[in-house]
Amino acid sequence: MVRGIDDPLQVLTVCGVGMGSSLILKMTAQRALERLGVKAHVEHTDLPGLRGMTPDVIIAQPLHASEVRGLAPIVVEVTNFLDEEALMSALAPRLREAGWLPDDR
Amino acid sequence: MDALRALLEFVANNILGQVPILIGLIVLVGLLLQRKSFRETIEGTVRAALGVQILFIGVGVFVAGLVAFQTIVSSAFRLTPPTSTNTLADFLAQRGGDITLIITVGFFFHLILVAVLRRLFNVGFVYLTGHLMFWISVVVAAVFVEVFPAVDTLTIVLVGGLVVAVYWTIQPLYIDRFMRRVTGHDQFGYGHTSSSAAWLAGALGRFVGDPEKHDSEKIKLPDSLAFFKDINVSTFVVITVIMLLAAIFADPKVVADEAAKENANLNPYLWTLIAGLKFAGGIAILLFGVRMFLAEMVPAFKGISDRLIPGARPALDVPVVFPYAPTAVMIGFLSGTVVFLILMGIFGAAGIATIVPPMIMLFFPGGGAGVFGNAFGGWRGAVLGGAINGLFLAVGQAITWGMLSNTAPELATLADPDWYIITWILLPVLLAVKAVVGG
Repeated sequence: MVRGIDDPLQVLTVCGVGMGSSLILKMTAQRALERLGVKAHVEHTDLPGLRGMTPDVIIAQPLHASEVRGLAPIVVEVTNFLDEEALMSALAPRLREAGWLPDDR
Repeated sequence: MDALRALLEFVANNILGQVPILIGLIVLVGLLLQRKSFRETIEGTVRAALGVQILFIGVGVFVAGLVAFQTIVSSAFRLTPPTSTNTLADFLAQRGGDITLIITVGFFFHLILVAVLRRLFNVGFVYLTGHLMFWISVVVAAVFVEVFPAVDTLTIVLVGGLVVAVYWTIQPLYIDRFMRRVTGHDQFGYGHTSSSAAWLAGALGRFVGDPEKHDSEKIKLPDSLAFFKDINVSTFVVITVIMLLAAIFADPKVVADEAAKENANLNPYLWTLIAGLKFAGGIAILLFGVRMFLAEMVPAFKGISDRLIPGARPALDVPVVFPYAPTAVMIGFLSGTVVFLILMGIFGAAGIATIVPPMIMLFFPGGGAGVFGNAFGGWRGAVLGGAINGLFLAVGQAITWGMLSNTAPELATLADPDWYIITWILLPVLLAVKAVVGG
């Protein structure tokens, strides 16, 4: 079983209340991970809801960087919530480093 | 005929009148149209219905907490607490079906308007901020029922749907020029009911400062302020501190009576802690419910829009502008909170009204106005933007509660600036219509 290939990665997108922008970010992240060929289960949540969860990847905006740091092996910050390409290039090296991205991609 | 009437009555009572079932059905149709798997269809339908049920429970808890707060703070100022003949919880039970249909019909009207605008002028955004689509529909329905208490479902859904569709279409457009300055691109628009405060911050920012010379992002705020970003924590802290202070100055009998409702053996001052937890807890439950049903509705709305208007740009929730000036967000929040608390004291001391600090509305619209103010006037613009929001929220709450006191007055305590403006425009218009056509 390899994370991201056989076993879906647990990915969380986060915003203050977990209703609006994290949901938009979830849709962007789903497409970005699909294009990377990574098997992933993406959910969205609010900041307090994040406590007690153990995701593999957290995607959030810089405003929340200090709150989410250290809560997952990979934490990625985004500025543009719709930019799939930017998210892919931010995720790819980190996923590869963790061995969660197939080498040929 | 009798059979038909019986069928219509059955549908009205059991489907249109039961919002969790109605929303569940709408989401079910959406998931079936998207050809989702059996498992996803069942999960999505149940989650949506459950989310609505949780939202209703949260509204009930919140309203109870709000009443306790208003009673104690009013007593401290020797005022009568705000009165009403109905509550938001009752209103959602009475007109929830109409509200759900207003969102659904309104979204299709909105797509038609956007499609026409794109064809004619090559402009237009598809509004995707789901929770505000819900709340604006509640506000419009409340104003309608306030003026026409017996309005039928067809009329309120068609006219209300048109009103919300026009708002969702115009709002991202009129602020687009400023939005491009904030983000530096035009991939998405601003879809948030703080637009009036954000627009004013953008328009007036240049008169108070310079975006380069006074850039907010050169300032480092103390880390100790970070806990305000967790709105559950900040709501509890601010509400409880105010209640504790108010309890000291309030009529001891009023405080003791309220505390006894919770538990006769409870110390009245410690009771304010429990009351603060219940207030913040109610809001947390309410938000959880909204999040749960939106998670099913928004992707469906986006799917429909992608299919019907390919390439249309979306208008998105306020936090999408936060990455462009995170410090301005905190500045706008803080300045708005200070302005609100000062006005709360003035309104109370002058006997004008008892108002409740709405921490979510001080944070998100205040943050948005801060970012727009910073883009045109640096940190000084951000302070101004937050102050404009604080002014809107304090004055708006004080005068709008009474306008909605026969339907859902608590909306006045949960409102962003645009909710007030829509109420202030729609109410006189409908009253004029009523004067002409009769009611």
